[in-house]
Amino acid sequence: MFDQLLKRLLQGEFICEVSDEAGFRYLQDPENAEQVDAFLTRLDYRLSSTQNRLAFFAAYRTIDNSARSDIRKVFYQFRIELQPVVEWLDMMMSCLNQDTALSPGDTLSFSGLLQVIEQNQALADRLQTFAKFKDFTSGDDSVKGRLEKLLFTLCKWGYLTLANKDTLIYQVNGKLDYFYQALQFIQEHEQIPVEQGETDAIQGSLF
Amino acid sequence: MSQSQQGLERLLRTLASHSELIAEAYFTGVVYKDNQNQRALNQLKQLKVLVNHDADGYRIAGRLTQFLDSALSSDRVRRLDTDLADWIDTLKLQISLYQDAEVENRLGDCDNYFAEIERLVFDLSDTLEENTRYLSMLVNSRFANVRTLAEKQKQNTFYISRLEKLVNAITALQPESLLEMVEDQPLIYDLLDHQLIRKLPVYQQRLQDILDKLKVFLFELRQIEARAQLVQGFAFFLQQNQNYQPQDWSERDTIPEHWNQIKPLALLAYADPLDHALEEDLIEIAQKIRIDTEVMLAKQKQRSLSAVSLSPQDKTTLDLPLYRKQLRVYFDRVLKNEGQSISAVAFQQAFVDDIEPSIWLSCVLNEWLRRQQRNKRLQMELIQADVGRHFSGNKKVRDIVLQFRGANN
Repeated sequence: MFDQLLKRLLQGEFICEVSDEAGFRYLQDPENAEQVDAFLTRLDYRLSSTQNRLAFFAAYRTIDNSARSDIRKVFYQFRIELQPVVEWLDMMMSCLNQDTALSPGDTLSFSGLLQVIEQNQALADRLQTFAKFKDFTSGDDSVKGRLEKLLFTLCKWGYLTLANKDTLIYQVNGKLDYFYQALQFIQEHEQIPVEQGETDAIQGSLF
Repeated sequence: MSQSQQGLERLLRTLASHSELIAEAYFTGVVYKDNQNQRALNQLKQLKVLVNHDADGYRIAGRLTQFLDSALSSDRVRRLDTDLADWIDTLKLQISLYQDAEVENRLGDCDNYFAEIERLVFDLSDTLEENTRYLSMLVNSRFANVRTLAEKQKQNTFYISRLEKLVNAITALQPESLLEMVEDQPLIYDLLDHQLIRKLPVYQQRLQDILDKLKVFLFELRQIEARAQLVQGFAFFLQQNQNYQPQDWSERDTIPEHWNQIKPLALLAYADPLDHALEEDLIEIAQKIRIDTEVMLAKQKQRSLSAVSLSPQDKTTLDLPLYRKQLRVYFDRVLKNEGQSISAVAFQQAFVDDIEPSIWLSCVLNEWLRRQQRNKRLQMELIQADVGRHFSGNKKVRDIVLQFRGANN
């Protein structure tokens, strides 16, 4: 377990309950996490996790010029992902007819999504707008082709895992927790106007 | 017949075949193991009809007792959803009635009240056990599995009300005061102590676990709601500001923690052919490579052989391109006029029509480089244009002058 896990961390992977359940459980044990961290420390790395501890990843212990250059690439990739991922999350709320955003562990059925989108022209149009993003252009102009491309790219970016190849069930990875964290950070620090007043009232009534 | 139907039929048949034992347990409160009924008792216990009374005895499970009470219109009927705290009051009342009967030496009433107390204690114990276990199971398996906030709120109300009932019941039990109340009645004291009081820490722990889980889920729900708001707000913002790019946070002195991710390393390892432990594996791999290669070779197309013919083939003479002919004329002229400098541009203006001067100069330079390897007497001079910008690193050539030096020079 230890060796496999370290290799995956060193290859820049996010370890979460969906992508590697056994590895994730292993890292949840503080003693194991300490051992992995001790090993990473020898490479001047450290074990880090997302804000809700839904995914683990390797981070730089010392941020020198070389590390800064690599982190810059991670940030630039986030810039590329920002618009399409936000658009995807928002679209999924409409597709699934739910007032909550996707969370790590949630499942998406390809056939279910396809059926909903094919029966709703507004959603089909939204799906088509993904073509403006470089990584989502598809040779196949059908709804099915576009949806395949959308889910494929999100798998490639690490936000989804194809949990069942036969039934085409996708599962949301813990990496989404990182995305939410980054989104929240930008919203707070760049004062992006996002309505919050209504939420407070709703949350108050939960108790 | 479906599997569940078969299961029900088997259960009803078992109940019917052991009806006498069940009736005895219902009316006397307990049945004891003997050589004849041991197997039947085990079977009824497996079907959750009977539960342990003590080491050797069995009693009817609380829910079945309630069903029988209800079916027989017994005055002991109590609904499951009755406030559990009421049961404690009833229990205290029955204990007090038992104590009065004991003082007045009404032995028959004592037995009846004891049977009633026993039944109440078992019912209460069963209910606490079942409810805490059931709620725990629900919270562990189905909690938060809802789509909308409204559903979530309904679910919370349900869980919280059940939890409240259980907490009230356990709070109302007050073990010390109950035991103190019956310290002169050892039978009731043991019954309360074994069947209720000693189990309380288990129920309390279970409730604590449920509460912890509820706290986590409520926290997560808050986050999910905030996230939904964040996603929808951001999506709207991005639609309004299509060219928006976040500030370059990677250039800040302190980089936000979530972007501190290492560059993925490409990990490669090689097998050590000198490692004898790997010998067999390596042989297997090597054999596989051979087979693969044969397969690949088998798929290769047969190369066609060149045909050999004795008859002479037609020869085709290719014309030299025009610029090559003109270069040859120019170079012949230079070679013939030994010691005389001849300008390439002047020659081009006089004899070459359809080549741009810059291309002509490139051709001349290339041809001179080729020939000067064989003939060192062929000298070249570059005539440069005025340099407009200093230190650009480029030379601007406006003419090339060639001269064929004499053998003596």
